[in-house]
Amino acid sequence: MTAFVLKRLGFAAITLFAVLTIVFFIVRVLPGDPAMAILGDQASQSALEALRVRLGLDVPLYQQYFVFLGGVVVGDWGVSMVSGRPVIEEILKVLPATIELTVASLILGIVVGVPIGVWSAVRRNKLPDYLARIGSLLGLSFPAFVSAVLLLLFFSIHLRWFPVISSGQGSGLADRLRDLALPAINLGLIMAAYITRVTRSAMLEVLNQDYVRTARAKGLAFAIIVWRHCLRNALIPVVTVVGLYLGILIGNSVLTEIVFNRPGLGKLIVGALNQRDYTMLQGMMVIYTLIVVLVNLITDLTYGLIDPRIKYS
Amino acid sequence: MKTGLGIALAALLATGQAYAAGTTLNVGMASADAGKLDPHVATSTPDKGLLHWMFNGLVRIKPGEANPEFIEPDIATSWTTSEDGLTWVFSLRDDVKCHGDYGTIDAEAVVYSLNRSANADISAFAKDYAAFESVEATGPLEVTIKLKNKIPSLLGLLVPYHGGNIVCKDAVEALGDEFQRTPIGTGPFMFAEYQPQQYVKLVANPDYFRGEPKIKEIFYRYIPSDSSRDLAFQAGEVDMIYGKQEQTWVERIKQVPGAVVSVMTPGEMSVIHLNMKMPPLDDLRVRQAVAHAISRDAMVQFKGPDVTLAALSPVPEGNLGFTDDVPIYEYSVEKAKALLAEAGHPDGVTIKAIHTTLPGMLTTMEAIQALLREASINLEIETVEHATFHEQIRKDMSQVTHYAAARFPVADVYLSQFYHSAAIVGTPTAVANFSHCAVADAEIEAARVEGDLQKQLEYWAEAQRKIMAEVCVVPIVQSMQLWAWKDTLDLGVEVNGSLNLSPPVTEAASFSQ
Repeated sequence: MTAFVLKRLGFAAITLFAVLTIVFFIVRVLPGDPAMAILGDQASQSALEALRVRLGLDVPLYQQYFVFLGGVVVGDWGVSMVSGRPVIEEILKVLPATIELTVASLILGIVVGVPIGVWSAVRRNKLPDYLARIGSLLGLSFPAFVSAVLLLLFFSIHLRWFPVISSGQGSGLADRLRDLALPAINLGLIMAAYITRVTRSAMLEVLNQDYVRTARAKGLAFAIIVWRHCLRNALIPVVTVVGLYLGILIGNSVLTEIVFNRPGLGKLIVGALNQRDYTMLQGMMVIYTLIVVLVNLITDLTYGLIDPRIKYS
Repeated sequence: MKTGLGIALAALLATGQAYAAGTTLNVGMASADAGKLDPHVATSTPDKGLLHWMFNGLVRIKPGEANPEFIEPDIATSWTTSEDGLTWVFSLRDDVKCHGDYGTIDAEAVVYSLNRSANADISAFAKDYAAFESVEATGPLEVTIKLKNKIPSLLGLLVPYHGGNIVCKDAVEALGDEFQRTPIGTGPFMFAEYQPQQYVKLVANPDYFRGEPKIKEIFYRYIPSDSSRDLAFQAGEVDMIYGKQEQTWVERIKQVPGAVVSVMTPGEMSVIHLNMKMPPLDDLRVRQAVAHAISRDAMVQFKGPDVTLAALSPVPEGNLGFTDDVPIYEYSVEKAKALLAEAGHPDGVTIKAIHTTLPGMLTTMEAIQALLREASINLEIETVEHATFHEQIRKDMSQVTHYAAARFPVADVYLSQFYHSAAIVGTPTAVANFSHCAVADAEIEAARVEGDLQKQLEYWAEAQRKIMAEVCVVPIVQSMQLWAWKDTLDLGVEVNGSLNLSPPVTEAASFSQ
């Protein structure tokens, strides 16, 4: 187990290095001049040149690369070219909000998606199954920003239950839950749609297994067969999807953060892209890579918890 | 238990209590986050709009106006100028305190601030102060500015806008790099708190020299989504919002009960620069044909009559020096076709434009494309990402350049940046002369050093006439600045314009209930 984790961490380090290198060069071949993004279109050529020197963009690319790598190794990710604030500080200030939203959406997706998927499989080709399939299809095909605006119109404008601005209205638990509710529902329902479909599919396969037929023949209660025996065996593909989707969820949080006006990594990366903030983009990529690598590792380790037959070597 | 749950649920669902009314102003701005909050560095609309409420200049434009003809004293109580217009002496107030514990503003502080604005290593606006020979403290409360040569509007450089904002020396020196995150000024509101991607909080300056503001705190909230900003305004979570430059936005927000919609100058002027070095636009008759083929009335209807003005001259209406006494090319498809035939293009011409993918600008260009097609002018639009657009048009790669910009409202700025030969793109001194226009250099330069305002205005007018006669550019429309606020918010002034692009929230602003 320890050897497995160490090996995976070694691969993670290589992945991180590769991503950093690719990101470094990609952001620099993007069209657009950070100096002009910062100084605006009225800046003179001399002012633009002076700023490029201050930002270290006048030295050869390979030198910039080694300075960047050296900084990453010692934990110095530089300062944002736009705001002048340290990159790591900017990221750490909004990272908890993204994690909070992602975890809440994930929990909601699992709590809603797994039971509906099981229910749908058990009632295959009956009304509950049709409803679940149509509902999950809607969830998958509905753009997140449209559902977000609809949620705002109904719950914030019509019913006045939740605020439109989902951030910074207070620091108490009730305030934070109220801020979190609509964004989490918006992302969580999309997650639930995915999980419903995968759970249903996995359960249908398991329900046809011989051991299920045997258990039913022995007179075991159907609920016990479904929830204790079938579900556990159906969970492997569900966990895989949850792991894969978690990375996508963080990416999808961009629009949700913008529409609900929540702080988070999504808003940060959009701003950095618009402003050609190289240092911020690089820092963001480090964080995204770390999250994806970490989630994949946790997913792999979870397989062993669900199915004891899986051994790590 | 049930009661407990009910209380918890009520607490969870009760919204709005955090939006203290009466003395708290919540503002919704179209931006994801704050940028650099140093007024000598900030160039974006959201940052300038916020700093507007925190700083003073030696002089200011009367709150609610944007035209330099409304300049009045601010930190300076009075000023004199020498006969040759090269020496200016300003007398200062003695009661201007910096926010916090950063001392008071005296002549030395003003000298420090203006020299900082002129320092290219720090300031984004240093080139505006290139004509300054010296800034000296000639008394405890007296500042003397000497110029190398006359400039069109010295006072315009001293209003609280860009480098004219007076920063507090002690604060800049004590805070170092932190100053761009903790701006310290002398204005009615003081920086209190920054929450990333959420808001900047300002509080009333109790020592403000014009009196303590009635509004006690301002939350300047960053709400990048247009629809969310509108919904937050509708729900009463924000009292004032930055608008979208669309007719439909004005119509929709006017339906919100108690909403006041404000259409402010300076407008952002959209123009079509015609590259006079590239065939077939090197032929004056072809350029005249393009001008005749574009209907400004149709463009105003298209963009929205409540949010746009027809643009007539290379200088926007409302700028000091603007004139509408210029050659006007009335909309006439027949004239356009006749001119093309005369120029040897009886079957029409094809011209190409590199254009940004920004939706607001692209739809305007597509409408122009449709109008030109009627006159057998085929405008091919090659769309590229916005940053690429800026890069390529500055490399002189586009025959036709659609550009939209707002500038300090003195004619010299537009004329120098867009129509002086020194600003031609692709040259070392390039700014934004995309047309290679060089017909009015003499008038632009003469106006810069002319001390007599009437003569100066005539030079500027003549420059505009020459530029239009050569059809370096086809002015299209001026899109105004749009804001909305609750009718319970009384700004204390009539709002027609704002140089810093945000409404004037001063010590006089208050809520009526």
